[in-house]
Amino acid sequence: MTTPSSEKSDLAIDVSGARYVYPTGNVVALGGVDLQVEHGEILGIIGQNGSGKTTLTKLFNGLLKPTGGKVVINGVDTDGHTVQQMAAHVGYVFQNPNHQLFARTVQAELEFGPRNIGVPEEEITERVAEAVEFFGLAGVIEEHPYRVSFPIRKLVGIASIVTMRPSILIFDEPSTGQDHQTTKIINDLMRGLREKGTTVVCVSHDMPLLADVVERVVVMKDTQIIADAAPRDVFADKELMARTNLQAPQATDIALQTVVPLGGPTALTPGELADDLVSRLSKASTSQPTR
Amino acid sequence: MSMQASLPVSLIPGDSLIHRINPLVKIVWVVGYIILAFSTQNIIILYSMALFAFLLAPIAGVTKPLLKGALILVPIASSLLALQIIAPAVEKPWTPVAEIGALTIYGDGLYYGLVLLGRIVASLLIALVMVMTTHPSDLFTSLAKIKVPYTLNFMLAMTMQLIPVFQREVGIILSAQKSRGMKGSGFAAVLPSFVPVFVGAIERVQQLSISLESRGFGSDGVKTSFRQVRTRPSDWVLGILGAIILLGLAVFSITKGLWSLSALIMFPAALVTWIFIIAATVFGIIVFGALALAIFKK
Amino acid sequence: MPDPVITFDNVTYSYAAAEETALEGISLEINAGEYVAILGLNGAGKTTLGLCVNGVIPTMLGGELEGTVTVDGLNVADYPVREMAKIVGMVFDNPEFQMSQLSAGEEVALGLENAGVPYEDMKRIIPETLALVGLAGFEDRSPLGLSGGQQQRLAIAAVLAMNPKILIMDEPTSNLDPIGKQEVFDMAAKLNREKGMTVIVIEHEVEVMAKYADRVIVLDAGKVVMNGTPQEIFGQVEALAELKLRVPESAAVASLLKAHKLWNSPIPITTEPAVAAINDLLGAKS
Repeated sequence: MTTPSSEKSDLAIDVSGARYVYPTGNVVALGGVDLQVEHGEILGIIGQNGSGKTTLTKLFNGLLKPTGGKVVINGVDTDGHTVQQMAAHVGYVFQNPNHQLFARTVQAELEFGPRNIGVPEEEITERVAEAVEFFGLAGVIEEHPYRVSFPIRKLVGIASIVTMRPSILIFDEPSTGQDHQTTKIINDLMRGLREKGTTVVCVSHDMPLLADVVERVVVMKDTQIIADAAPRDVFADKELMARTNLQAPQATDIALQTVVPLGGPTALTPGELADDLVSRLSKASTSQPTR
Repeated sequence: MSMQASLPVSLIPGDSLIHRINPLVKIVWVVGYIILAFSTQNIIILYSMALFAFLLAPIAGVTKPLLKGALILVPIASSLLALQIIAPAVEKPWTPVAEIGALTIYGDGLYYGLVLLGRIVASLLIALVMVMTTHPSDLFTSLAKIKVPYTLNFMLAMTMQLIPVFQREVGIILSAQKSRGMKGSGFAAVLPSFVPVFVGAIERVQQLSISLESRGFGSDGVKTSFRQVRTRPSDWVLGILGAIILLGLAVFSITKGLWSLSALIMFPAALVTWIFIIAATVFGIIVFGALALAIFKK
Repeated sequence: MPDPVITFDNVTYSYAAAEETALEGISLEINAGEYVAILGLNGAGKTTLGLCVNGVIPTMLGGELEGTVTVDGLNVADYPVREMAKIVGMVFDNPEFQMSQLSAGEEVALGLENAGVPYEDMKRIIPETLALVGLAGFEDRSPLGLSGGQQQRLAIAAVLAMNPKILIMDEPTSNLDPIGKQEVFDMAAKLNREKGMTVIVIEHEVEVMAKYADRVIVLDAGKVVMNGTPQEIFGQVEALAELKLRVPESAAVASLLKAHKLWNSPIPITTEPAVAAINDLLGAKS
């Protein structure tokens, strides 16, 4: 029987009443937010620019300290720890890889993070090899990061944080400027991370990306969280989507107007909708997935 | 991603008499002020200049921002006066007027401290007033009128615009590297910060130059200007008057031996001592406070 | 009736000091008033294609250009970019990187100033153009203080001021939030429908393109591999999948059903026809 306090420290992210006001004066960037995320969850955060979503994620890794309330990550209170100290727990993949990459080779880039947080050399080599394999970077490992194409650079940026093996990994708009191919790699990565028990937080405008991968969506508007539910429930809420000027994936829109009134699922992907339709329309009901 | 484009000191919008003066005239006045200030050691002139500049502020409606911008004078004044009073930056012989412990207080020190301070105050105040009442675009349009090359003008304008941008970029990059555990001190911190800034700048320049080229930038031929700056008769008057007065006084100052009043003014010993104590204390508090902040912010 | 305003005649191009060709044997025509979407993976040559239309290639960037690009009857290679700027306006993917002036009014004025347009005309054109993109009264605002969507609309205004016939937008929304994206796409549609401008949009947002485009051109490794109406192109789901490109989700659903022999009508590329067709099927079932 766990006592409440040890239950609390099992949370990956524990935000209570967090507020953030800019030091220059009176701009409230975050107005009292509560959020609890357990280890291994994949969480999506959506909202327009200015809704507070970026501020919130910066509170997670200590880049910003809350001006009110508390943020506890992996049991560690961010207030009282430096960003470098939090880096042992939280990895933050910035939207623009150009803001992170500086080394002479992709290899050095992948080694930078783990070395900073004190990972022993042999283990660094192992982690780098694993990342190279997963992201398919073998061909560019000796290249200068700025000599490779932008989509590959984005993957290098992500890989350089993955080698730090943080318990929590935050992605800021991972699919911006990416084509379909690299978006799929990122999808697979997020799922793979979750399987290893990493908590994933993904801030994104890319609804189809989120729909495919996350299990929980937090919607932000005007510095507050206005919804925190499963993707199906969030995307199905037409009023919520309209109010936040966001658009559900097309497959979800279609499902809402076709199979949902008949008791079908609020499909998040074309595959899911097709599966349901196939079972409805087939005379011989085989349950073979159509992915 | 949006941000406010502001330098630490920038235009305070308004339509006062001062705002409407031609930017070139303002440049003449600022330059004239500086030349005169550094040509004289007459504290009456120096502080009259400072007062004059200060009185322009309410006319322009920039009093509060001016006072804010002038806050920097507090540490400057306190350190300058404190140091000068015990170690005047002039030729000996010095005139001791008192002693505090091992320190000797010199009357000349106060005078020259006031001279140095006066120069800074006068120049700073006039510069602040002028910057706060001039839209940068008007400044550049005026420069173009006096045949400053278009490209140079453009580069200066762009630089102004880019300073806050690069401040922001450096901030982001430092955040990104700190998030990777980079310990932010010393030489090791420079490389991870420098390369991304450099790359960002190059990308920006590349895309900007194609964008500009696509709009026909840099073509030869007559260019017109959207921003119109009037040169009125009053501008000519102010400009010429300013040049004559300020430069004239400067010339007289130099030929008449800097017009120093140090021989005429004898400060009472108590005054000098008290000023020293106050200045040293203020300066000490500032230094201590800064150190404490640096240590405790960790 | 087809009235080609842009013609590529067997165009092959390589950037200076590059080993591979960026464009190979491109031949296509774009008619006046068309809304054309250009799709393809990063590196397929989309941006290069755009830069060939406004003359930055070859005039500014050099390199080796074979074949001819004709825009509004002019051979692009024979004219300075500033002349082409009067016919072709181009907007790029990073709104902030296109800003160089201290106020929005001056940003819009830049092209006009360089073309020597008299002040009297500028006084009229600039407010009109800002109003056209929904930024009326923004003349004195600093471009850096605007939102991404506003900046991008300002960039559009800056090229519109020269009243071009053709507007090329190279991934204009990739750095914008959903509201910003919407503003820009609405703007492009408005310019195309109300002003009859030829609009070329290079994008990845296939669902929006399915809705607005008259024509879709797909590039792969520097070659044109598909060129047709949205219905023709987005209906070819397997072919696009092989090119590793996104398809509108409505088309993906239909295609999956087709594989199960459950779909006999044309592949829908937008929401409404998909919903209608599916409800028909469901209705027929019951």
